[in-house]
Amino acid sequence: MTAFKGSWSGRVVALGLLGAFILPACAVGGESDGGSPDAVEQKLVVGADEDGYTTEGAEADVGQYPLNANIFESLVRMDESYEIEPALATSWEFVAPNTWRFKLREGVTFHDGTPFDAEAVKYTFDRVAKTGGGTPGFAKNGTKVIDDYTVEVTPQFDNRRLLEQLVHPSYSIIAPGSSPGKKPIGTGPFSLVEYERQQQIVVERYDDYWGEPAQLDEITFRFLPDPNARRLALEAGEVDLVLDVAREAIPDLESKGFVIAESQPGAYSAMYLNISGQKGYTILQDSDVRHAIGNAIDRDTLIDGIFEGLATDEQTMVPSRLLGDANASKVEGYSFDSAAAAQLLEDAGWTMGSDGVREKDGEPLRLQLINGFPSASDHGAVPEFIQGQLGDVGIEVEIVKTPDTASYEERLAAGEGDIWMEQGSQNDANPLFLPALLFWSVGLFGDIGYQQLFAPGGEFDVLIEDALATPNPAEVKELVGEAMHVLIDQEAVVIPLAGLYRINVLTDEVQGFNTQPSGLQIRYDTVSMGNGAS
Amino acid sequence: MASYIARRVAYLIPIWLGITLLAFLISTLAPGDPAQIYFQRTRGRQPTQQELQIVRERFNLDEPVVEQYLSWLSGAVRGDLGVSFTTGKPVLDELLLRFPATLTLAFWATVVTVVVAIPIGILAAIRRNSVLDQVTRAMSMLGASIPSFWLALLLIILFSVKLQWLPASGQQGWESLILPALALGLGDAAVVARLTRSSLLEIINEDYVKTARAKGLSEGRIMIRHILRNGMGAVVTQIGLAFGFLLAYSAIVEVIFVWPGIGRLAVDAIGQRDYTMIQGFVVFAGSIFVLINLAVDLSYMWLDPRVTLSGDKAVAG
Repeated sequence: MTAFKGSWSGRVVALGLLGAFILPACAVGGESDGGSPDAVEQKLVVGADEDGYTTEGAEADVGQYPLNANIFESLVRMDESYEIEPALATSWEFVAPNTWRFKLREGVTFHDGTPFDAEAVKYTFDRVAKTGGGTPGFAKNGTKVIDDYTVEVTPQFDNRRLLEQLVHPSYSIIAPGSSPGKKPIGTGPFSLVEYERQQQIVVERYDDYWGEPAQLDEITFRFLPDPNARRLALEAGEVDLVLDVAREAIPDLESKGFVIAESQPGAYSAMYLNISGQKGYTILQDSDVRHAIGNAIDRDTLIDGIFEGLATDEQTMVPSRLLGDANASKVEGYSFDSAAAAQLLEDAGWTMGSDGVREKDGEPLRLQLINGFPSASDHGAVPEFIQGQLGDVGIEVEIVKTPDTASYEERLAAGEGDIWMEQGSQNDANPLFLPALLFWSVGLFGDIGYQQLFAPGGEFDVLIEDALATPNPAEVKELVGEAMHVLIDQEAVVIPLAGLYRINVLTDEVQGFNTQPSGLQIRYDTVSMGNGAS
Repeated sequence: MASYIARRVAYLIPIWLGITLLAFLISTLAPGDPAQIYFQRTRGRQPTQQELQIVRERFNLDEPVVEQYLSWLSGAVRGDLGVSFTTGKPVLDELLLRFPATLTLAFWATVVTVVVAIPIGILAAIRRNSVLDQVTRAMSMLGASIPSFWLALLLIILFSVKLQWLPASGQQGWESLILPALALGLGDAAVVARLTRSSLLEIINEDYVKTARAKGLSEGRIMIRHILRNGMGAVVTQIGLAFGFLLAYSAIVEVIFVWPGIGRLAVDAIGQRDYTMIQGFVVFAGSIFVLINLAVDLSYMWLDPRVTLSGDKAVAG
């Protein structure tokens, strides 16, 4: 046996010492946040999704998007019915040919004490212009200071929807000379205490707020990217409110005494049908087949069984609340009628084959359903449900799951697929945005891939172009209602499945929480902490 | 020995270049236009043509791919991994800022592994085929099969939700370390306990152990001086590799416990399609893993002086 040089145990001790060295060097600065808040303490802890803020350059949007920490405010805001309300602007008018004039609120100060005026608006919009101008199309030097409290905005292109677009937090007003990436300074009901990237953003009440001051002293938004961890943090009492909880978690949380706060529908689940006939994907060029698909789906079962009852049977795509009842009712939508679906397919020449799949000229009625937007997991079991329902009327569906949005869009650009599953949400008060972005043949931002597969052209384009041209919001809603009728009922390019809403879960200590169909509009100034039953 | 070390280090160069190439290819082979995806992930909508062009220019995405790689590689060699898309800060600075948190977690997870696995492994070897041994084997099979992220959720349900003893997430002092360290350490403990058991069993039947026993040495002395000393080489190797693995791949557990380490940084970067950060993470984590592998190999020689090196092969003599 070889003689030992030095003992084994000595080396273990050496490793141990190395460990002891590592420890103090890496001791994690554990700042306690004081544990769970006392019932009467006016402090709210919110469990939010991942930290999606950009902290660099003119795009920096800490406190603005995607989590609106109520530090900033826009010139206008929208209520839960998507109605425009004054905020930092008290009135506005459209000045032909392409200018919007805003009267600004007086007596408003930023959190650093600087007064809010027309210069701040110019600074903010010019900053967005540097990044391309955003959806409103802010132009370089397109914003003019008329006097301290009057400002004129002339976008790069004819834009009659600017007002409805301004409610988006990306266009909220920041203090002149400041950058939200360095320090977010706004005029909102809460001011920044601390932002720790990917950990939390903490805000406190701004006592000099121009409106009714907030009731809470402090809000901590903790970024908890894992949905299960978010839910468990609520159950462990570490957060008081969780935003956007998955449907499948709701029955259990409800039974444990948590309060479920559902918003009005502000999003939709729908199928877009490929009418292009490109690359052998020709079957859905036949409008009868498209209508048959609409009729083959039992939305009641879909909503109760797959959406856990936490969705509505709204079939307008653009939220009906935004369109208004009269305009929304122009869209008839589809009712479940498998006999009618079968008849439409028969009329189109698709006869039932021996294997339960219809055929025409020896070709089977086989469609590809692409699932991946915004992500395959967002659709849960909906694609499989659709597969079953269409199977019942003799349409065989192959489900293709794309691993991420990028591969979905790449496939879409290549035009490979018949049925495209999508969820979309309405984040501003402009009902034209999604129809014009996706289905108008010119395209709001040009041809972004959707146009080649889904744009029906004709009457739909005329209605969209009329809506783009009018400065009158009521007329826009009417025209978009008609356009959606064409898109859904006549052309059957879009087959709506359900209206979706946001589901937030809170403890019974949280009082006065207002839900919003767009999560970007949630305001915390009405929230307070009370003594819950537990 | 010096030439062996030199050769091992020289091997690292092609491996490291391979890592950089793979890291870079991630962004070019991934579907879609990086500028468009980045925009969509950070703004929540499609970009206009003008917005797209601004993003492309800012991140040099309009240059040919080969040029992009070479200029990135020449930076990487000098320790410059580029600038994060979303924070505008140097990628290496961000990684180094987060690395201590990951190192702390990996260290304590390894402590859990050692403290749990070694005694159990020893006991199971001594009392071979006893009930304890059977239970240990069943438990370690189970432990090796349970993914750490699932164990993490179970631990939160038990210790944070039901018992409310420990925080479910965040960094509130040493209590916050316990659950993530358990979630990461217990899985490795299962593997190490099994390895300890089998390594010791091989030695328990060696002649020199029988000789020691015949000489009348106490069982404790035999265990410490003869069996453990000779049987732990493979176990130490395994623990070292597990430690290296934890440094680079504890991402999901970091996400669940909101632990501000490099894994969390990488997952968020993937979510936002922050390509420079993703590339930087792959190179950084890959480099660490390769270096730890080297260190384990070398420490094997050091810990077990019987090991001599002829060529590439370690021979026990």
